[in-house]
Amino acid sequence: MITIKKYKYTVNAAVLALTMVMGNSCKKDLLTPSPTTSIIDSKAFDTPARILSQVNGLYSGVKSGQFYGGRYVIYNEIRGEEFIVNKPNGVTGLDTWNQNVNSNTNEVVNLWSAGYTAINRVNVFLVGLNANLSKVDAATANQYIGEAEFLRALSYFALVQTYAKPYVFDGGASPGLPLRLLAETDLTGAGKNDLARSTVAQVYTQILKDLDDAETKLPATQATATGATRAFKNTAIALKARVYLAQANYAKVLTETAKLISTTAPYQSPTGGSKLESSIVTVFNGSYTGAEGLLFLPFSTSDAPGTQNQLAYYFTSSPGNGEYYLNTAGIYANAALSGAASTDARKGFITKVGTVNYLTKYKTPSPFTDYVPVLRYSEVLLNAAEAYARTGDLANASALLNAVRHRSDPAFTFDPADIGLQANLISTILTERRIELLGEGFRLTDLFRTGQALPAKSGPQGSSPAVAVTASNYIWPISGVELQTNKLMQPNP
Amino acid sequence: MNKRILYLVWVMALVCTQAYAQTRKITGTVKDAGDGSALPGVSVSIKGTSIGTQTDGNGNFSINVPAGKQILTLNFIGYTSQTVAITSNKLNVALVATASQLSEVVISGYSKISKKDYTGSAVKVTAAQIADKPVQSFDQALAGQAAGVNIIQPNGVLNNPPVFRIRGFNSISLSSYPLIIIDNVPVFTSTNTVANSASSNPLGDINPNDIESVFVLKDASATAIYGSRAANGVVVITTKKGKLGKTQVNYDGWVGINKAFNLPKLLNADQYVELKNEARANAGLAPGFAIQKDADGNEINTDWYKVVYQTGLSHNHNLNFSGATEKTSYFVSTGYSNQESFIKTNSFERKIFRGNLDHHLSKSITIGTNFSYSNSLGKGPNSGSLPGQAYNTGGLARLPLVLNPNVAPRNPDGSYNITSTGTLGLGANTIANNYPNALVLLDLDKYTSGNTNVIGDLYGEWELVKGLKFRTQYSINKLNIANTTFQNPIAGDGQSSNGLALNTFQEYNRRDLTNKLEYIVDLGKNNIDTYIGYEEYHTTNVGTGTQRTNLADSYFNNFQGNFLNVLSDATTGNFQSENGFRSYFANLNYSYDKKYLLSGSFRRDGFSGLSANNKYGNFGGGSVGWNIAEEDFFKQSRLGSIFEDLKLKGSYGVVGNVGVGDFASLSLYNSGLYGSAGTVYFNQAGNSNLKWETSKKTDIGISFGLFKGRIQAELDYYNNSINNLILNAPQSPSRGIPGNTIAANVGSMYNRGFELNFTSRNIVKNNFSWTTNFNISTLSNKVTALAQGNSDIYGVTSGLETASVTRVGYTLGSIFVVPVDGVNPANGQRIFINRFGQKVQYNQVGTPSKWTYLDGTVAPAIDGTLDGRIAGRAIPTYYGGLNNTFTYKSFDLNIGITFSGGNKIYNGTQATLRDQRFWNNETGILRRWTTPGQVTDIPKVVYGDNYSNGSAIPNSSNVQNGSYAKLKNVALGYKLPTRLVNRAGISSLRVYVQATNLAVVTGYKGSDPEVSSNGNSNLAPGIDRNTVPSSRIFTFGLNVGF
Repeated sequence: MITIKKYKYTVNAAVLALTMVMGNSCKKDLLTPSPTTSIIDSKAFDTPARILSQVNGLYSGVKSGQFYGGRYVIYNEIRGEEFIVNKPNGVTGLDTWNQNVNSNTNEVVNLWSAGYTAINRVNVFLVGLNANLSKVDAATANQYIGEAEFLRALSYFALVQTYAKPYVFDGGASPGLPLRLLAETDLTGAGKNDLARSTVAQVYTQILKDLDDAETKLPATQATATGATRAFKNTAIALKARVYLAQANYAKVLTETAKLISTTAPYQSPTGGSKLESSIVTVFNGSYTGAEGLLFLPFSTSDAPGTQNQLAYYFTSSPGNGEYYLNTAGIYANAALSGAASTDARKGFITKVGTVNYLTKYKTPSPFTDYVPVLRYSEVLLNAAEAYARTGDLANASALLNAVRHRSDPAFTFDPADIGLQANLISTILTERRIELLGEGFRLTDLFRTGQALPAKSGPQGSSPAVAVTASNYIWPISGVELQTNKLMQPNP
Repeated sequence: MNKRILYLVWVMALVCTQAYAQTRKITGTVKDAGDGSALPGVSVSIKGTSIGTQTDGNGNFSINVPAGKQILTLNFIGYTSQTVAITSNKLNVALVATASQLSEVVISGYSKISKKDYTGSAVKVTAAQIADKPVQSFDQALAGQAAGVNIIQPNGVLNNPPVFRIRGFNSISLSSYPLIIIDNVPVFTSTNTVANSASSNPLGDINPNDIESVFVLKDASATAIYGSRAANGVVVITTKKGKLGKTQVNYDGWVGINKAFNLPKLLNADQYVELKNEARANAGLAPGFAIQKDADGNEINTDWYKVVYQTGLSHNHNLNFSGATEKTSYFVSTGYSNQESFIKTNSFERKIFRGNLDHHLSKSITIGTNFSYSNSLGKGPNSGSLPGQAYNTGGLARLPLVLNPNVAPRNPDGSYNITSTGTLGLGANTIANNYPNALVLLDLDKYTSGNTNVIGDLYGEWELVKGLKFRTQYSINKLNIANTTFQNPIAGDGQSSNGLALNTFQEYNRRDLTNKLEYIVDLGKNNIDTYIGYEEYHTTNVGTGTQRTNLADSYFNNFQGNFLNVLSDATTGNFQSENGFRSYFANLNYSYDKKYLLSGSFRRDGFSGLSANNKYGNFGGGSVGWNIAEEDFFKQSRLGSIFEDLKLKGSYGVVGNVGVGDFASLSLYNSGLYGSAGTVYFNQAGNSNLKWETSKKTDIGISFGLFKGRIQAELDYYNNSINNLILNAPQSPSRGIPGNTIAANVGSMYNRGFELNFTSRNIVKNNFSWTTNFNISTLSNKVTALAQGNSDIYGVTSGLETASVTRVGYTLGSIFVVPVDGVNPANGQRIFINRFGQKVQYNQVGTPSKWTYLDGTVAPAIDGTLDGRIAGRAIPTYYGGLNNTFTYKSFDLNIGITFSGGNKIYNGTQATLRDQRFWNNETGILRRWTTPGQVTDIPKVVYGDNYSNGSAIPNSSNVQNGSYAKLKNVALGYKLPTRLVNRAGISSLRVYVQATNLAVVTGYKGSDPEVSSNGNSNLAPGIDRNTVPSSRIFTFGLNVGF
């Protein structure tokens, strides 16, 4: 009896002791686990493949649905007069359409943040790459740096046009943006919360500096595998032309476009193979990356633009949600788009549903994977045409204008009055831009750089009055969050 | 053993006395005078004899009284002895608990301590306060029950976790939710898990009827032993154990109905058409709305509330068996709950099992286990009422408020009335609607959230020598959550994807090992209870999820049907992380002569989430107490006869908050896609200096008992000063830091206030008793420092609306809106006040500008950030409860009132209800301005106007007083006569009716001032944004003992 009891006692004690020991010893690294779904910063540049993935990550930053992957393009359209709001939804740009945003409106806050997030990805990448140059060969590193600089320029250009006074108003003397060029990675490092706005001119200088450098570093041709989804030399040049156009520096526009446009038709770039696609329909097949593309941002079913950021969702009623339809008083009124007799291919991008017309340039159904066009060759031609026209070379201007028009409507002849006089030709080219680039995010910036008021527009959900160039809501306010955290930040008047 | 002998003696005496002829049989029931619960094991004896018996498990006794004996004596440990005159053959006796301080223990941390010797601040909530309430989780039942505990039920969505705060908000960026310990196991709470539209709360996996006691530990002395996890207070739950005596079998069940409480009154079809056309005319637009008639010529007048809401039916059943022998005690239970909300298709079903076992292996070794398994399933529509959902297009709370009342949900042929994009059909209107038809969503969309939750522990305790015990416990909490979503392809959130299904599966695993060595010794007047211990636990969180979109065929209606597109990435619920915790702790309680009390604890915690050099932190607290009532001078004074208890105490300590992310200190890159190419990108800016957030807690208190336990009160002053707050420090967005924040130890804040808990046994008689408990807490919260430059931190509701700000010098999450100055009587325009104090009026169709000064000149537009101002605190300055319990013969009545106030609520729902798009409005809009000179609070209606009433920029016209008193719970019970029920083989049977949320007294204009659209958010509390109302519940229940 006694022995059994003793034995029991021992067993009990052993069980308890065992439990204790087991628990203590089974997890040596209890306090130092490593993340399995994120890469720790010290390993972020370890392999050439990972560095390439980082380059793709820079593009995906710009491609954010809150930025170039959707909403930036949409805002530039709906602040202009081409579209009428159909669904009065605050989340899908109602206040933007109404010219009624304020510094804490989501559009204002989110676009600002998405743009700078893309910029900082570039800044962080450049520092990381420079510290790991041994991981890739020099040519590849150079290309990556060029791509990074190009994307930084693209992002700054988008932001400066949204949040600062147009360059042409005062030669860029107005407050521009805080120029963030250092890698911002921690609390106490290089960056600080407070940074004053550089002038618009200083921001443009930085953009052009990046583009000039990118031009020297980028490859001359598109890679076959990635096509227009990655920048190459012509992409940087085309953006530079667009930047000079925004500065009304037409001579420089022509310097740049000369690198992309042959002196005689059929127009194409001397290097890199950029040219117009024979049919514009091909360009908007949803996943175009061909010769006309200088930069298209790609989507896939696994990489969709995200809810309420998708171009087709806004502008079509099927497969989209019919958020905005075409304003009959906008460019839709042009005979090329609405004329009964029009044979213009671009008329095919308009679909009538009930009594209203939707733009169906973007049409891939959910998850709405239409590639977003950022730079394409017809814009280059129109930029050059306008620069020629404004500098008095009407012949070249008309030729380029016709190149764009005839691609979509070969039989069309412009009324001589429309192209014979300089002022009229400029106006005709600007109109052609509206037709050609409708829905691609150019309308607002064209109004800005030509010093026009934002036109009034009216629809069943209400009307939006004209906004004079002097009005406080002509450009967007600075993000309220920035104003609160950056003590040197100056609000827009 | 003694008891047994005594019992034998009694029985023998009984047998002997039966020999006498002149005896009569007296039966009776003994219960607690306070809560009316039956008292088993009470000694009942006949005065002047040796005859006696004990009450059975249901408090019943039966005794044969010799002739001439008229008085019974009742004795029970912890209760005042009572003599009762035998006035009838059936006696009901209520025993009064002695001053509970004398008998109660506090289950605090890793040990128990007599309340009399306790110097911390802790409050107990008993089983009776929690059981039988029509709730899904016990935390919902704590409202108004304990000083210092603030419970806000955000709305009536079933199993929606309440806002749970102990002594204020104790963090800014981390959770302010307390640590929950169940039978020594730190369990997962809603702050750890991911829910979908069907709400999920892991605490709903605990059966409220299994809970024996809840101790809420509040001050540093009470909580310091939990070290780094203690900043938000600790809730220690003990489940029921078997008690010595015969096997007890109890069944508790209720059925109830559930209705929406206090819905805003909306315009009917006629009023709607008239008002909206007036708004269109005011905007210079053609009429767009018209009455539609059905085939019979009747006007279409849809009450969308009736489409969305119903009377829900619920039932709940619990069955338990318990008992104990000298060696073994057991408690096994099962429960089934099936509850329906007043929101159609919202339901909660739970099956739960528990087994608690304790066994003395030998005289010195005890082993035991507490094990529970729960399977719960929440179903719901997208109620639009959980955190983050306020603006969901398919949110069912908002839809009935905005959908046109002059449009029918179905077409005459019975099909859904929808457009090709799934929005509600136009009816006779010409203006497009952008909201889906609510009926389609209720019929076709499905959301479920199922929890499988296992909480179990195994412990062994070995008394090495007398007073020296070693205890080891190994426990697990395994929580699996399966969330399913199906959104139909024709209307609502799934329409643009042509149908969407998202299934996620989350596994949360925690194992915990605790070893403790405790020594308790009484050395004459010196009493020492001390222990040291070691604890480590490890948690893993794994989620997998897949989204399928684009239905291959409209036939399919679940995830398993065929779809064309599949997506599985971080956005569809895939995650994996882990954290570890290692601690050493020690505690000492010392008392001298029961008069002078001293307590101290220390804990060293290591946590994996902190930076490499700062993983460990030291925490601790100490307290002193003085039992004045034990002093001879006091006992001999006049006061000594009034106070049987009087204690002063004070404590101070430093504790921490651990709610930081698993890898918060690291700089990380995530991976995604660019089209079809893989990406790696900077996604988290780490902080290599991230360390513990510390909270310094001070408490000074007095407690006393008067008139032999008739009155008991505790009064505490507390001051929680939080330093090194782990703050997601706001970074200028232009820095481009992902998320615009970096976790850093910056900032400080305090919570201060008084707490009073007062219990009075007003009337204690055999047939009638009345007990009142009143508790009130005050709270002064102020943020005293924030990150770099003290930048404000905005609280954003559902990612869209900023109506909250955290600013130095103000209360956390204060309401932040643009001030308004009514409506201009001259033109009916809303007048705003800008940052310069100038009055600016708004005209939706104004030209050239919508914004003008009152003289008509153009003014800069009002800006939500720049012109916003703090309009009041969102956190109550006081809250508490008043609970009255009455018993009369076999009846018992409980009336519970909760109250709260001193705060403002941002009534964003009112902005929705007054928006001048096509949305329907509340009837208050009929007061709108129409004529020059008219003075009113509602601006002229202008179609499309989303500014004047606060949709686009929150303004002060929607800021309202949040004070209220609520008749939270009324329960009336009746205990059927024992003799009657005994015939049915039942030893006791109580029936009751109960009503919840009967009435509310408040100045608040919204549906219910007890609201929180952002759930447990620290940064945006006190927001009412498009949420379903709370529920009013009536239940009928049974408590049966066999």
